[in-house]
Amino acid sequence: MDPSTSQSRSQSAVFSTNTQYVLPSQKFMIPATWRRYQLSQLVNKALDLSKPVPFDFIVRGEVLRSTLEEWCQANAVGEEETLEIEYIQSVLPPEKVSSIPHEDWVSAVTCAVQGHFLTGSYDGQIRAYSHSKQLVSSTLAHRSPITSICAIPTSSPLYSEVSSSNGDQAIVASSSLDLTARITSLYLHDNNTDVDMDEQPPTLPPRSTALASLVMHTGPLSSISVNSAGTHLLTSSWDGLIGVWDTNIPDSDQVEVEQVSGAERKKRRKVDLNAQDRPKTKAPISVLKSHTARVSQVIFGGGGGGGRGDVAISCGFDSTIRVWDLETGICAHTVTASEKPFLALSLPPSVFLAPSGPTSTGTPSTILANSTDRTMTLYDLRTPSTSSASGASLSFMHPSTPSCISANAEAAYQVVTGAYDSIVRVWDVRSNKGAMATMRAFTPDGADAGQVKKVLSVDWKRGVAAVGGEGGLEIWKVGEGKT
Amino acid sequence: MPGLEVESKRRKRRHEEGQDELDAEPSALHRNGHLEMLSDDEDGNDIQSDDGQVDQFPEIHTESDSEEEEKEETSDEEDEEEDEEDKDEDEESDSASDSAESLHVFPKAKTVMSEITGQPKLVYPEIEPDYDSDSSTEDAPNRVGDIPMHWYDDLPHIGYDVNGRKVLRPARGDELDKFLQTVDDPSSWTAAFDKNTQMDKPLSAEELDIIHRLYKGENPDANYDPYEPTIEWFTGKGKEEVMPLSAAPEPKRRWVPSKWEKQKVMKIVRAIRQGRILPSKPKSKAKFEFYSIWNDTPSTHQPPLPAPKPPLPTNSESYNPPEEYLPTDEERKRWEETDPEDRERDYLPQKYSALRLVPGYDQFIKERFHRQLDLYLAPRVQRVKINIDPKTLIPKLPSPNNLKPFPNYKSLHFIHAKGRARCISVSPDGAWVVSGDEEGIASLWEVNVGREIQRWQFEGRIGLIEWCPRLDVSYFVVGTEEKLHFLIPPNITNAVLSLTQSLLAPSSLPPPPNPTPIKWNSVSPNHWSLDKPILTLALPDSSGLPIQAHWHRKGDYLATVSNSKTHGGVWIHQLSRRHSQAPFKRIKGTVQAVLFHPLKPHFFVATQQYVRLYNLSEQKLLKTLMPGIKWISSLDVHPSGDHVIVGGYDRKLCWFDLELSDKPYKVLRYHTRAIRSLHFHPTYPLFASSSDDGSIQIFHSRVYNDLLTDPLIVPLKILRGHSVKDQLGVLQVRWCGKHPWLVSAGADGHVVVWCS
Repeated sequence: MDPSTSQSRSQSAVFSTNTQYVLPSQKFMIPATWRRYQLSQLVNKALDLSKPVPFDFIVRGEVLRSTLEEWCQANAVGEEETLEIEYIQSVLPPEKVSSIPHEDWVSAVTCAVQGHFLTGSYDGQIRAYSHSKQLVSSTLAHRSPITSICAIPTSSPLYSEVSSSNGDQAIVASSSLDLTARITSLYLHDNNTDVDMDEQPPTLPPRSTALASLVMHTGPLSSISVNSAGTHLLTSSWDGLIGVWDTNIPDSDQVEVEQVSGAERKKRRKVDLNAQDRPKTKAPISVLKSHTARVSQVIFGGGGGGGRGDVAISCGFDSTIRVWDLETGICAHTVTASEKPFLALSLPPSVFLAPSGPTSTGTPSTILANSTDRTMTLYDLRTPSTSSASGASLSFMHPSTPSCISANAEAAYQVVTGAYDSIVRVWDVRSNKGAMATMRAFTPDGADAGQVKKVLSVDWKRGVAAVGGEGGLEIWKVGEGKT
Repeated sequence: MPGLEVESKRRKRRHEEGQDELDAEPSALHRNGHLEMLSDDEDGNDIQSDDGQVDQFPEIHTESDSEEEEKEETSDEEDEEEDEEDKDEDEESDSASDSAESLHVFPKAKTVMSEITGQPKLVYPEIEPDYDSDSSTEDAPNRVGDIPMHWYDDLPHIGYDVNGRKVLRPARGDELDKFLQTVDDPSSWTAAFDKNTQMDKPLSAEELDIIHRLYKGENPDANYDPYEPTIEWFTGKGKEEVMPLSAAPEPKRRWVPSKWEKQKVMKIVRAIRQGRILPSKPKSKAKFEFYSIWNDTPSTHQPPLPAPKPPLPTNSESYNPPEEYLPTDEERKRWEETDPEDRERDYLPQKYSALRLVPGYDQFIKERFHRQLDLYLAPRVQRVKINIDPKTLIPKLPSPNNLKPFPNYKSLHFIHAKGRARCISVSPDGAWVVSGDEEGIASLWEVNVGREIQRWQFEGRIGLIEWCPRLDVSYFVVGTEEKLHFLIPPNITNAVLSLTQSLLAPSSLPPPPNPTPIKWNSVSPNHWSLDKPILTLALPDSSGLPIQAHWHRKGDYLATVSNSKTHGGVWIHQLSRRHSQAPFKRIKGTVQAVLFHPLKPHFFVATQQYVRLYNLSEQKLLKTLMPGIKWISSLDVHPSGDHVIVGGYDRKLCWFDLELSDKPYKVLRYHTRAIRSLHFHPTYPLFASSSDDGSIQIFHSRVYNDLLTDPLIVPLKILRGHSVKDQLGVLQVRWCGKHPWLVSAGADGHVVVWCS
């Protein structure tokens, strides 16, 4: 193209946004050579913002990364067409805050406890770190690898039930490969005296107590989650069952654990007896049975309200996403994909945004799920189950298996996924053409350079993403939110 | 002067008579001198008649004088008397001319003083035209010459006469006058317009005669005689040639007898003498014999077939076909591009407006040449070309995109740091993988995370790992040097654990039915821990490393193959009865692999070159498959039980349809190095092959229940990711239970999970 013409070329555009920075609706003629930076400046100047706010621009579901002209050429958009450009507040490049190496792989992280990061590891330990990278608590919750943890919110009646004068207490539910889930209360100490607590846990005063053991599943557990009120737990297992539990601590064993006459069992029992804190076993209040293969994750669908009126959403290796009515315990809705064994799922961030969203209807409208065919897919749950279309609307392609997914209320439209190629990606659910930002976790150093360490868990809250995986725990600052 | 004219005539005749007399009697010339004078008088009667004939040509008169004089000069002396008379007559004429000259005839120039120059000049008198003068016959007063007369069209005159005076244009009447003239004057139609005088002039009789002759196509000259008698100048009587043409002497051969003739004659004479020619040979008396051609019985042969009639020419073969028969440029190009033997027609229709425009037959020389070849019995070489588009030979296979799912990317890998990952096994529920390496380490890890959960250390390298297919119990077998270890994985329910323990280490041992060299050593559950095998089978000494094992689908029987030569290395162990037996006393060749048939009580044994199928219940050989592989490396049977794939170290992969034949239904040779392992997916229509070239190939293999439909084998994907180490690539591949996921163990110590 003739440079003289291209210089004078301009593209007409209409801007729209969902942010608080709204431009008057009018048509702009924009020089075709402009990039994101100039467009962002334009919006800033047009709004006369006192403090410059960087924006990103989404054109037809694609984040603008080149000049407008290049984008138009690549997408065969003519000069005369009017582009509808949506602008969103930019995601700042993620910054690595700290790295906390672990002895074993970290399979689960959570930021739910204010001021702390909790990790569940393959060595069976639940660890709590303060924001100053200090190990404040550690307890051997399971003898087998922990697959998932969740922190029971402080609004739960459990906190009052577990008598404690100390405010620095966190009650954590963890699921493990040893077929059980446990509720453990952790005492969080900011002082440094408890660093070596996990080395001799029995000898020290029982700071951390196993409150209950959830026994029902016949296969290793894959995930555990708690509702926002902290009254109920959901566990999913490899045996295709989903357990619904309340958080009451039983006074006696609700389930008789049949002890196999074996040396190992004996030894364990000895340890348990010695520890004097063998948790009471606990039975589920109901079991959700419909999956034909491993259930990989189950979450509560309701944002608030609590009680059993919530819905549960589960995904499994049988390529289905199921919505359960917890009150009746039946599968209310099924999304059947073809040959997509799902690994993880999350409510999309817009659910948090919607003012009259999930609580009013009880069922979220869309769900995001990762599957082993390297995609994160946005499913519409409103599509009737009988229709042949699975309701998949958008697919976000990954170069490697996406293992985990996290969304939070602060960042609208944005989700974070972690993958086996040790890269955590920030996506905007409106643009599936590429990640908004990427963070390379567990940067290989020295000896094991070139070795790709898998990301197994990610939790993103309050502008901080905790990334757990093969290389331990990493804290990243993601998004515009305050730390 | 008629008198003068008559006299000259007379003299002429006289002269002719004298000539005749001279010819007759040359000697009497002088004697007849007088007589001649007399005869002159006698001829006077004839003068009248002569005059009537000759009077027509008065012009000749002037010339006759000069002729007369010439003759007089050449005449002989005997004419002297006549000369005298002539002189008289000349004198008379001279006197007469003199008198005339004095009057006016001969112009005599007068010398006059010119008024202009003052010099004397000769002035000739006017010529008086009369009968004898040339100017009297002058009929063209206009002397302009041969010029275009239209130059004078605008002038009143039409030229100039000899004196330079203008000749005025004669008056010409209008058309009416012309018409009246033709009516009045009967000769006017024979008149013609004379350009010179610009008026009509009547044609003369001679001119009319010429016109007549031209009209009749005759020679216009009236005096021309086309039939003149020939004049013989050189031939005829008295003119024969008597002198020879050349002075050369007559050649000798004209009279000497011919030597050549003599030789010929002598040859015949000699032949007669020698008897070669019989001069009086008796003539053969055999007469020509007639025979009846119809007497013979007619031939029983069929009459030769008449030559096939060539098809009649069609419209397109015409030299002037209708337009629609003419080829378009496209057709013409296509015709020219095809080979001559592939063309539908050996000509192109061409259009000529006329038959005479058709050029010569351009194939003439070529056809003549071929005809010559035919006559020479040289067969025409007809090149038989099979015109097949190579693309059509490729079988139509469905696109791999339609055959999803199949593994297409490397999801994760598990690393055996020290040794080669030799063998792997996936738990029946597809959640766990046990991999064993050559350092004796067996690792249990999750398929989806790749995190090692449990590790067992053995002495020596691990040759096989197989997970028991039963779902109510959970254990797997690990083969090391001369030993088989039975291990229980962690994280199983108590029910499964106790059942497994009671199976592998029953409290009451059943009595050994037959003494076998194999010892079953169980560990009591009270003394057992997860790190130890609960049951160990001691294979006979020097049996070597068990290299392959296969569980019967019910999980009670386990067949193992050891790499030693004794006992064929094949054992079948029954777990429930804690008993081992060697099914074969002797096996020809080294056993490479054994398999239980998935449905029937059949047993596959792969030796180095053959695969034999035995019926275990009837104890007999059912079938011998001949794959044509030099050294079989691996073998697997389709879940339906009717199809077997065999892989060899010589890179070949053979698919057998057991219902079909002992020979392979299909031989695939896609690997560049030896094939190490094969595995059918238990539920999906997939199988995988791994090779020493470091690649894994995934095939779609759909088997139909319909016996008539051949199995469909489609290569789907080549998975690369393993590195070749010590010439060894991927040593074992196993499918992952219910999912289209593949686990592969490589010589580089990596165990890779491939996901769809």
